Amino acid sequence: MVSIHNLHFSYRRKPVFRGLSLELEPGHIYGLLGRNGMGKSTLLRSIAGFLFPQEGEIGVLGYQPRKRQPDFLQRVFLLPEEFSMPPMELAKWVHLHSVFYPRFSRAQFMQAAAGFELPAECRLDEMSYGQQKKVLICFALATNANLLLMDEPTNGLDVVSKSQFRKVMAGFLDEERCIVVSTHQIKDLENLIDRVTIIDEGTILFDQTIDTISERLLFRISYDPGEASTALYSEASFRGNAIIEPNTAGEDSRPDLEMLYKAVMLRSEELNKLFPAKSNQ
Amino acid sequence: MNHQYNQHFSMKRWSSLLALHWAGNRKRYLLSLPAMLGLLVIWEGFLVIMDRYSPLNDGMQAVTYYSGLLAVGTLYGSTIFSDLGSKSKGIAWLATPASALEKLLCALLFAVLAFFVVYNLVFYLVDIPMVELGNRLIERQHRVWAGGYPIEANPVFNVFKGMPGDGLDRGHHIYLCFYFMVQSAFVLGSVYFERFAFVKTVVAVLLCILFFALLEEQVIHATLPNGWNQSLFSEWMSSGDTLRAKAVRLSPVASLVLVGLLIYGTPLVFWTAAYFRIKEKEV
Repeated sequence: MVSIHNLHFSYRRKPVFRGLSLELEPGHIYGLLGRNGMGKSTLLRSIAGFLFPQEGEIGVLGYQPRKRQPDFLQRVFLLPEEFSMPPMELAKWVHLHSVFYPRFSRAQFMQAAAGFELPAECRLDEMSYGQQKKVLICFALATNANLLLMDEPTNGLDVVSKSQFRKVMAGFLDEERCIVVSTHQIKDLENLIDRVTIIDEGTILFDQTIDTISERLLFRISYDPGEASTALYSEASFRGNAIIEPNTAGEDSRPDLEMLYKAVMLRSEELNKLFPAKSNQ
Repeated sequence: MNHQYNQHFSMKRWSSLLALHWAGNRKRYLLSLPAMLGLLVIWEGFLVIMDRYSPLNDGMQAVTYYSGLLAVGTLYGSTIFSDLGSKSKGIAWLATPASALEKLLCALLFAVLAFFVVYNLVFYLVDIPMVELGNRLIERQHRVWAGGYPIEANPVFNVFKGMPGDGLDRGHHIYLCFYFMVQSAFVLGSVYFERFAFVKTVVAVLLCILFFALLEEQVIHATLPNGWNQSLFSEWMSSGDTLRAKAVRLSPVASLVLVGLLIYGTPLVFWTAAYFRIKEKEV
């Protein structure tokens, strides 16, 4: 669905990507993680065709994003972190924009809006930032775009809304669609994403599915200080030490994304060695 | 083939884009109408009060008309792509599933065509009654010129008949074309400059004029033989050392083509440049 090969990009003198390559497949919700300023938003905007590669190629659904053809724009929807909504009735805004998306489903919009408990009749300029964001999320889902790119979608959402977000998103995915969620609020994505892509210093540091991570790594609590010192990663908790270690015995555990992220940032090489070489970037 | 064509222009998409633009800017546009009306009433009312003899003669109406057109038209033209100056609005604008051509044509319809029509409506809505008022005041107060000659009623200035007393403009609408030429530069400026588009375009236009003035003065004039000067756009004259002037001019057809290209082609060139700028715009 998305094929990025040898992507180079820089803002004036500040290089962002130096030969980044990545493949995104339909049927997945990707969690794009990374520190601030490491290029998550730049990557999403490059995929959506709003920034152009200075070297390398990006292909999305057989289109070149930079051409921004109407067909392409109907199939790829970017939910930006910064947005502005016009002073207009919600229903009118939805009507005016939905005509550009042939696969837009009003029923899906209403369903998602109900999930977020959005008011049916309200002016956009009278809504809070969080409510406006929910409108955009509902609209993005209802366009039935094949590729949905979401930049920090949970920013500005309260705790209840974050939970609603996960529920709404989980119901949207099917085999033909792909969702990429960029965030540094890793906890917000737990139980939602099925693939983790960590980006740092212009390259892909780690890119694995949740299933593979569960298969190869063991996340558990240890009361033995010796285990904590030999683990791939450990951090103290009230109940002992939360550790990550190679899953040599094939045990079941639930990956803690925040711990995984920290582990990757500290020991990416050792971690990547535990995964099949082909799927690593 | 049809599918490819559809990627460049679809009437359905374009009309949806027009509706979207109107809905997003309706309030601003509707508020600017009374503002334009008010300014015209104040200015023409001032002229009627101040000029006892010939208030609002056709020359003054023409100056008012073209000054207003140029000022408001360029100001509006320089804001037509202002969304591209903001990351959040720019992404929303570029992400709307319509082609660059459709987006450009939508902007041109509002900034060039609709504005021109509305400006004319507003101008004549004020100008016709104000001219009538001026004429009535002269008639009722029995005003006469200093020598006792009667003051004739002022006609309403007709933009399509050209500038009063200017035969060239009557035939070719030079001033109108000049306006569209300058406004097209401001439309291009609005997509080219992310901030302060109006001011930056004014500076850019002035720099262009300075460049061509220097080119003419320092380069072209220097290459002409001694005593020769450029007379008109496509004519060079020399008084020589005798009293008989000599002239070299392009053939009428070549001259007409050149002038036509400059006057009618420049807006097309600037609009085309704006199209490619939209296509290449990154946010």
